[in-house]
Amino acid sequence: MTEAARRLGPQGGADLVLKDVVSGYGAISVVQGVSVNVRPGEIVALLGKNGMGKTTTLKTILGMVALRGGSIAVDGTSVSGLSPSKLTALGLGYAPQEQPLFQDLSIRDNLRLAVASDAKLSQALERVFDYFPFLKDRLKQPAGTLSGGEQKMLILARALMLRPRLLLIDEISEGLQPSVIDKIASVLLNQRATSGVSILIVEQNLDFALKVADRWAVLKLGEIDDEGPAAPDARARVLQHLSV
Amino acid sequence: MLLILDVLTTAAVLFVVAIGLLAIFGVLKIINFAHGAWITVGAYCAVVTTHLGLNPWVALPLAFVVGGALGALSELFIIRPLYRRPLDAILATWGLGIVIGQLITLGFGRDVQLTPNLVSGTVNLLGVDYSAYRLVALAAAIVVGVAFAATIEGTRLGLSARAVIMNETLARGLGIDTARVRLLTFMIGAGLAALSGVLLTPLSSVDPNMGVGWLIGAFMLVMVANGSLPALALACLAFGAAQVLISTFVSPILGSIAIAVLAALVLRINPKGFSRA
Repeated sequence: MTEAARRLGPQGGADLVLKDVVSGYGAISVVQGVSVNVRPGEIVALLGKNGMGKTTTLKTILGMVALRGGSIAVDGTSVSGLSPSKLTALGLGYAPQEQPLFQDLSIRDNLRLAVASDAKLSQALERVFDYFPFLKDRLKQPAGTLSGGEQKMLILARALMLRPRLLLIDEISEGLQPSVIDKIASVLLNQRATSGVSILIVEQNLDFALKVADRWAVLKLGEIDDEGPAAPDARARVLQHLSV
Repeated sequence: MLLILDVLTTAAVLFVVAIGLLAIFGVLKIINFAHGAWITVGAYCAVVTTHLGLNPWVALPLAFVVGGALGALSELFIIRPLYRRPLDAILATWGLGIVIGQLITLGFGRDVQLTPNLVSGTVNLLGVDYSAYRLVALAAAIVVGVAFAATIEGTRLGLSARAVIMNETLARGLGIDTARVRLLTFMIGAGLAALSGVLLTPLSSVDPNMGVGWLIGAFMLVMVANGSLPALALACLAFGAAQVLISTFVSPILGSIAIAVLAALVLRINPKGFSRA
């Protein structure tokens, strides 16, 4: 077992520290020195307009985009260079924004892919059925036939299947009606309260982000432009940075 | 009746030969031009078991294991570093096929090798005396096809492979070890190719280049199937029928090129071939 695996252990949230992270694609560094800390059990919202490096930051944590500079540590141990499969085994859950489901696979198979072995499947399914009961009766239905809101709930359910200690969520509220957004917010807060999971969400929906997050940071052109607690004045402060 | 049996057994042989190539193309998105060499390796497993005086049926599992092991080594040391350069990967498999052919020549010479039939004689089927071995080949194709479909639809490896085929980036993001899926798929594909080599030994002369001719047909069938197992079965049946009918009623020479010509025609009309995807 690696040092990181020992430290992550089975319970509680992880301590994620990004320090001066640089990453990107080809000749372009999209993320240019981002430093963010998500403490155990904390929810942090990474905000910003399109193209500012939010999703790339998540993909860099996940090992899907190569780290070009800086460091990424979980509970004090570097996880830079670990593959997504190793990070997932350490307790990292991911809810992607782009092409987030296997549309032609059933709901059950989409959920099944999130657990390492079928021995853990029944227990994990029961856990997510508590949050999203509609999934229980529709397990054989192709994921692509769900409505937009149901698909988002399936994405979140899949990320929760492995009881993550650290959850990375990419713009899950995009295009959703308020009632579904409220449902997702309540699931995230409930999961944090019951398991202590640490969550880093990337968002453009300011109301949703500030409702669930303890702290926020605004990303602008690959750098942290401002950050602070989700205090009453947060909305006005963030809007200053997001205005055109 | 004879014609129907010829069509069915020809389609079965084509299916067994092409299924390994389909598996690798579906998951790895590369055409493995070493496929013909794996077929030859399998046939020479039958030669080896004959030389050792073993039961000819031993060649089947032996070929699957040898093909799988050689496939693993090829994937790890030759193909894996080239995944981001698919054209180079295809050229590498072509070169690998040539090297394997030459190594077989070094070991066994250029002469045609003889192997005993796994099954000999004829069976009377609805009044027609028909080759028992060709019927065994038909049964083998059904068994291989069902086993392959069961692996894809009913196992975790199959589910992971389907996920990688549909969206490899998402599969990686969910923690699926895509490198392991590729390795196992390559092993299975190479193993199935070698297995088909054993099944071909009573139907085809065994020499160091025997796989090359089969590779072309398998390649065209896989292109028409576009990664789909049912589409491959349909393509084998349709093109196998065309091959038999043209060979019987027009010319055996034209029959031998029927698959290539028809595949090119089908792909010209519909680039997705027989696949619905």
